[in-house]
Amino acid sequence: MRLWVLPKEQVVDMVCRLMADYRVWGPQAKGPQFAFEPLPDPTAIRLDYNISILSPKVALQPPQERIAVFHLDGGFTVEPVIDAEPTVIFGIHTCDLHALALLDKAFSADFPDAHYLERRQQTLLVSLECLQPCDEHSFCKSMGTWTADSGYDLHLMDLGDAYGVSVGTAAGEALLTQYAQARPATDTEAQQLHEARDAKRLRFPNRLNFDAAELPSLLATAYDHPIWAELGDRCLSCGACTNVCPTCYCFNVIDSPELSLKEAVRWRRWDSCQLDEFARVASGENFREARAARQRHRMFRKGKWLYERFGELGCVGCGRCIRACLTHINIVDTFNAIHASQHRR
Amino acid sequence: MTAGSKKQEKPKVAFFDFASCEGCQLTVVDSLQTHLDLLDAVEIVNFREAATLNGWDFDIAFVEGSITRPHDEERLRRIREQAKVLVALGACADTGCVNALKNLLPPEEVRRYVYGEHADWYETYGARPLSAVVKVDAVIPGCPIDREEFVEVVKALLVGKRPPIPDYPVCVECKLKGNVCIFHVGGICMGPVARAGCGAICPTYGDGCEGCRGIIPHPNENAMKEVLDEAGLSVDDMMHYFRMFNAYREVGVGQWE
Repeated sequence: MRLWVLPKEQVVDMVCRLMADYRVWGPQAKGPQFAFEPLPDPTAIRLDYNISILSPKVALQPPQERIAVFHLDGGFTVEPVIDAEPTVIFGIHTCDLHALALLDKAFSADFPDAHYLERRQQTLLVSLECLQPCDEHSFCKSMGTWTADSGYDLHLMDLGDAYGVSVGTAAGEALLTQYAQARPATDTEAQQLHEARDAKRLRFPNRLNFDAAELPSLLATAYDHPIWAELGDRCLSCGACTNVCPTCYCFNVIDSPELSLKEAVRWRRWDSCQLDEFARVASGENFREARAARQRHRMFRKGKWLYERFGELGCVGCGRCIRACLTHINIVDTFNAIHASQHRR
Repeated sequence: MTAGSKKQEKPKVAFFDFASCEGCQLTVVDSLQTHLDLLDAVEIVNFREAATLNGWDFDIAFVEGSITRPHDEERLRRIREQAKVLVALGACADTGCVNALKNLLPPEEVRRYVYGEHADWYETYGARPLSAVVKVDAVIPGCPIDREEFVEVVKALLVGKRPPIPDYPVCVECKLKGNVCIFHVGGICMGPVARAGCGAICPTYGDGCEGCRGIIPHPNENAMKEVLDEAGLSVDDMMHYFRMFNAYREVGVGQWE
């Protein structure tokens, strides 16, 4: 793998040049927190961010988008709306990078999703290695997402005055040579990069008390565990956990006619399995009416079902759901509690 | 709308009001600034606040305001008899809104406070939403209503669909906007139990939600009370938050029976 060095003061220049040809999304300050949004100007980028409120998936699967327009005037025609443009997502932490790899699989499987895939096709990913855990809620090390060897076009790692840059793809290399004044790393710098990555291992705790690879089999025997009722009692059904989750991809589809009734727009909007009506079907039956059943569903998606479907766990350990939950429902504590109770038996 | 059907007559629409600030009707007028095509889609036959029209031949009645006097009921029933579709316009009509705060207090005290020595001259009873008196077909929640939602409801009625009023909480829209959670910056917010549809406008501008659109159908009130307790609210203060816009839900008409 070819390594480059990008002096830190060059980052804003690079972003500035990129903005001429791409829409550039990056982490920015939002009050006391951070948000991934299109950069209004290159200096707004905050690569020192801890974690963003929503994950960078917002650039590829927007919370709400038009997906089709119907014309009803003299016949019936449908026109798909594919809203994609050349995009760079800059500064993605590795937990979120792993999550995007899962979304790529989810949106490619069964019925490939043209809206997501067309945007993904036109998007380059510049990731950023964390050298410190972002806070007490992240558990990326347990989920194996605390670093990344692939999935990016470029990958940055802080070396003090400069970023060490790993090139993941030819497109990434082109980005680096055309938009940045980077230079190849010296052997010493390459060594420094490897050492920094090794050194961070000790700084990241394992919060899961067991190997995450055991999650699918652990949950297989936990469907009737009493913990779901406990979570159900605490859950507000506000959907915060799934809306901030970098791997959740469920959406609802809403048709809205124009007042003329000659046109209609089909929207899609993020949906959440935690909401009352999510599992209500046309006959009126709601097959996950209890909050406990909905929380169990979420935990099973993260720890078992997505693994069975896509070969990867549905949780990347970013900890967003834990931070967002006002009643302190904690996926790590939940998995640990199930593990502990199974172990006792 | 079925394809090839002959051009139908525009539905006749009327606006009425009871105890309210009329701000929701004002929002309707305001919505014409961005949706002038509303006037092509319907025929307005009665709209005291905006026009000198007083027709009683209408299909859809939008009714603002709470019912606060026995003789209001008679007029509301007349509207109901005439309307094919009756829509509660705004929080006063939908939930009783702040009008129902008086239901928390002893009737005599309220009457003396408002009307002084002439209290006996005035007819008044416990404030109630329209649905306490007549069947309501659809609601547009909020204090005031959201003008985009008003337009969406009109569209739904035009095609004969149930208006798409969210039954999930404000937190959903707030998260979709990527907002900083009000609780994370030391504030108080009813977002986890309050009905969405406003685009989380208050939290988006840094204020906690006060639940003006009513409470969702199945709120986890115990969990919400724990959240408010952790945020430092006393039980009294919690009650204020639950009651400010939703007193009728909490106590009905109280001692005004």
